[in-house]
Amino acid sequence: MKTLRPSINLGRVVESRLFVPVLALSVILLFDLVFVRGFFNLEMKDGHLYGSLIDILRNSAPTVVLAIGMTLVIATGGVDLSVGAIMAIAGSVACILIDPRIVGLNLQGNITAVVGDPTYSFAPIPVVILLSLLAAVACGLWNGLLVSFGRIQPMVATLILMIAGRGIAQLITNSIKIIIFNDSFAYIGNGFIVLPFSLFIVVALFVGAWLLTRRTAIGLFVESVGISFRASLYSGINEKMIKLFAYAFCGFCAGVAGLISVSSIRTSDANQIGLYTELDAILAVVIGGTLLGTGGRFSLLGSVIGGLVIQATQTSMYAIGVAASAITAVKAVMVISVILLYSQQVQDLVRKGAGRLGRKQAAA
Amino acid sequence: METLSLRLANKRKFLPVGATVTLFALAFLAGTLLFPAMRDGQSFFNLFITTPFLLILVVGEGLVIISGGIDLSVSGLVALTTVASAALLRDGWDPWVVIGLMLAMGLVFGAVIGLFITYLKVQPFIATLAGMWLARGLCYIISDSEIRIYNPLYKLLAGTRILIPGLADPTTKKGDYVTILVVVALVVLAVGMYIAHYTRFGRTIYAMGGNNGQNEQSARLMGLRVNRAKVQVYMLSGFCSALAGIAYSIYVGSGHGTHATGMELTTIAAVVIGGMALTGGEGYLLGGLFGVLITALIQSLIQYNGQLSSWWTSIVIGALMLVFIGVQGVLATLNARQLTARRLGGAGGGSTAAGLRRRPWRDRRVLVGAAVVVAVLVSMQVVGARNAAPGPGNSGTGPACAIKPFRQDHAAELMKAGAVIAYERNGGSGCVDELSAIYADGRIVADNGTQTVEKKASPADVQALLGSINDLGWFTDNMYSTSETQCGQCFTYYTAVSYAGQVKTVKAVDGGTAVPANYWLVTAKLSAILPTFGPGPQ
Repeated sequence: MKTLRPSINLGRVVESRLFVPVLALSVILLFDLVFVRGFFNLEMKDGHLYGSLIDILRNSAPTVVLAIGMTLVIATGGVDLSVGAIMAIAGSVACILIDPRIVGLNLQGNITAVVGDPTYSFAPIPVVILLSLLAAVACGLWNGLLVSFGRIQPMVATLILMIAGRGIAQLITNSIKIIIFNDSFAYIGNGFIVLPFSLFIVVALFVGAWLLTRRTAIGLFVESVGISFRASLYSGINEKMIKLFAYAFCGFCAGVAGLISVSSIRTSDANQIGLYTELDAILAVVIGGTLLGTGGRFSLLGSVIGGLVIQATQTSMYAIGVAASAITAVKAVMVISVILLYSQQVQDLVRKGAGRLGRKQAAA
Repeated sequence: METLSLRLANKRKFLPVGATVTLFALAFLAGTLLFPAMRDGQSFFNLFITTPFLLILVVGEGLVIISGGIDLSVSGLVALTTVASAALLRDGWDPWVVIGLMLAMGLVFGAVIGLFITYLKVQPFIATLAGMWLARGLCYIISDSEIRIYNPLYKLLAGTRILIPGLADPTTKKGDYVTILVVVALVVLAVGMYIAHYTRFGRTIYAMGGNNGQNEQSARLMGLRVNRAKVQVYMLSGFCSALAGIAYSIYVGSGHGTHATGMELTTIAAVVIGGMALTGGEGYLLGGLFGVLITALIQSLIQYNGQLSSWWTSIVIGALMLVFIGVQGVLATLNARQLTARRLGGAGGGSTAAGLRRRPWRDRRVLVGAAVVVAVLVSMQVVGARNAAPGPGNSGTGPACAIKPFRQDHAAELMKAGAVIAYERNGGSGCVDELSAIYADGRIVADNGTQTVEKKASPADVQALLGSINDLGWFTDNMYSTSETQCGQCFTYYTAVSYAGQVKTVKAVDGGTAVPANYWLVTAKLSAILPTFGPGPQ
């Protein structure tokens, strides 16, 4: 929560774009403070920091990364449903490059050399990462081409890859779950430099995206395309390229998220990697205050906080003993509350109340 | 009748539906030419028998999509219905009461979603997404594990065959048949078509959809009760989902939260392939029937082919969606141009419209779609050919190799002699069927059905191997068999191990779909010690 000084108008704080995500996060953390014993405990073990808060940060990495990319797409007035499938494709490409022999027909002879060897990788790890990210960007470009040059509704255009993508990922790995034994690849999702390594990736990506959109004109262009692509076109913005860029960037983010999740579970499981994460990512962006459907103004920080809200809810529910499978019901309740928070009717009510409070403060 | 003739006059509207029907007919014809097994009439009716719930969902989803919305909650509601009805039946409720309750639940569920969308102005995408999550979550709150359904009425509904007159012999009860569920689904489709084309409600939803939601405003200005129709259409979709859930629980005979995962995507795909525009306002529910049949046909063609993995189904469906969306886009452009031309009354606009009408296939979207379909078909051919070629170092039986059943009697005999059994089998082109007996004294005898090889290891090695496998928790009292149905490319790496002292201790693994923890470690440990076969006599 922001500190409220009498000079700050409460109404303005309520209307701030970060108000809802920050409020949601505070509510959840407050809930943990009251109901979950030792939730805020941090522990230093072997130079690593442990604790529920660290867990939240670490587990939220894929969602937050996806949400950063999704923010730009939603800001252009679109949506990308295929990020989960792209995660699976990127993960499968990475796994097959690290261990192509495991899907070969001649499994028997080679498998002993591969299994359990923490240094074995068919392609060098940087090449693995580069190629899987390239595959993800290619998927993003495909979406972008359909949306910008094909003039297909974004939801429909990305639905195609959402349906076909998992099939493609299964084909890449021959529908075999490849186990990764390579330690340096596993470091992406499991490593620690005091804090989880994936956290540094998230921060780097966020800073990169922030600089790209707020220190260059790209952010402005994205917003203008979202508000009205026709007006942008007439004012000389190449709206097709902007859209293409947004989808390609979203694909890139999905690739990064895919690498993080594959590396943290050390398995390529094309059926499970990124399943339903597109929904989490969209929800994170919506919580963060970027408007789905209409596009326009976006807030990267809001989306990041939105991602943290989702993960914090999930972790707190586990902490109070809600079954993992029932968590979707909790998420649904969360979506409904966010919908209510953002709905015009409720907002009008809040604004009236806050305005009255603000006037009282000003009078005092 | 006048309206019908008017509709027929505007033939372009029927292009997507016509394309769907033609595509289905061509694909079915090609299938019968390629695979003699498909020439049996029953193979046609099987397309219906395997998909009644999908058809019911398509009716509900189709109406929502025509109204300009989308419903992602259908699969969640199907799963919730299966779990809730299975739980109630387990507690001894009357099946008819259960069915009635479920349908009422679907209506209420849809109504709540519809109210959210209509009065809180929530995007349909988000609201129905929340609905899906809620429904799936509720499934697990009711029951974490699968509940089997033993109700006699459900069994009766699942098992009764309705023979096709003329194609079956009523006295011997043999011949072509469909199930009761198919009839129910077709009735639902007929009712849906009646609602869509011959009622005020149907005309309202057609008027609402399309043109990026601007038509909704026009419909409102025309005095149509848009809000009411919107809530009603989601209620209808909820009702259809619940009905599909009942059909699904009858079809699979159980209820579980993972049932129908991803079915909302299949449903939307079938709607799109059926020629309904995702922007709303256009298309016919009858097309949805063919959309469902095409998805089922793709699946069975890939099964008959035998060399392609079932994952090609989703890729082909994706490519087909692209084509149909392309066709829709072209039609939308044509209509818009024609409208502009008419409004302007000028020759310029008219000539472009006429020019476009002559060659709609020249549109970029259609070209891309067609190119993708060709690319997919070619790569299917290539992959199929590669899989058909005998793999290196294998016995070369090629694709004809069927997954052999576990030689249980042989294994039991060896176990009686004090051996620990390791078994690996692999369908497709690999065609492995190796049963090895590992004895405590270090003797290992392997047998692949045609050949026997023996190897002598040290007793200490055997002890270490079995100990470590045991440490990984790989000896159980359950007999697992996760081996899937006949599927040429679905490798079934199958490792079965039994430990001395326990009676029937076999663990089997399907390498393709459900690899348990440490599978590869166990496989590696085993393959390090087992003897290898030379080139076989075949």
